[in-house]
Amino acid sequence: MTTTTEQNTRPGRSHAPKVDIVETETGLRLWADLPGVDEGSIEVELVDGVLAIRGRVATEAYENLEPLYTEYGVGDFDARFRLSNAIDGDRIEAKLRNGVLELALPKVEAAKPRKIEVS
Amino acid sequence: MALLTFRRELDPVNALFRLQEELERVFQNPRGLDLGPSGRGVHPPVNVFRSGDDVVIRIEVPGFAPENLSIESRGQTLSISGKCSEEPAAEGAYHRRERFAGEFSRSLQLPRDVDPSQASASCKHGVLTLRVPARAEVKPRQIAVTAS
Repeated sequence: MTTTTEQNTRPGRSHAPKVDIVETETGLRLWADLPGVDEGSIEVELVDGVLAIRGRVATEAYENLEPLYTEYGVGDFDARFRLSNAIDGDRIEAKLRNGVLELALPKVEAAKPRKIEVS
Repeated sequence: MALLTFRRELDPVNALFRLQEELERVFQNPRGLDLGPSGRGVHPPVNVFRSGDDVVIRIEVPGFAPENLSIESRGQTLSISGKCSEEPAAEGAYHRRERFAGEFSRSLQLPRDVDPSQASASCKHGVLTLRVPARAEVKPRQIAVTAS
């Protein structure tokens, strides 16, 4: 029996970014550490309830550098999250600052908790 | 990474050759670098490179604005500290909390042939780059030959 796994077309490892995820009544907020990734090299995608974040690190900045001591691997970032709540994909907001991607993922109206008045 | 694979009949000589091959592969592959150096696990992670005679240090500091980082040199030691101004979420519940928040301080002892007092620093997209130039006396010098 053989199993196939998805492979990246670009060589090198991809890393899972460190993330913070907070859920509020109106939606989810997510922060992902993507050091070395610029605005044009990030893809955020929501397909079938799976949120995919990909960030490419420019390796040109590492040319002509000879490693002496390393504590972290340099490579692209790749993360996938299955979102249990219904998220309004059209209203996702993203911003990048100091290497941190911040996403605001609003829930669709039907998924928000509703108070039912008892008369 | 499987360093050694045990077969039914283990041949110690072959096993040594395989180990040697694996080690060579790891050392030759520039991406196979994370073998677990002493500073692993300390925040923020640091990579140190040579660029010609200069030393280049790259530190991942996502979430830290350049104005919240400070770098100090004393002798051959370079100290980097930072303070994160991010506030935790005021409302809602954390599902995950993996990112570093707060203060850090790290010191690096540099080789004697570079001059930390002449270091320059830049921060872009959460990566701090420090360049420590070589001391003038270690740079190659041409000595002119005069006819006598």
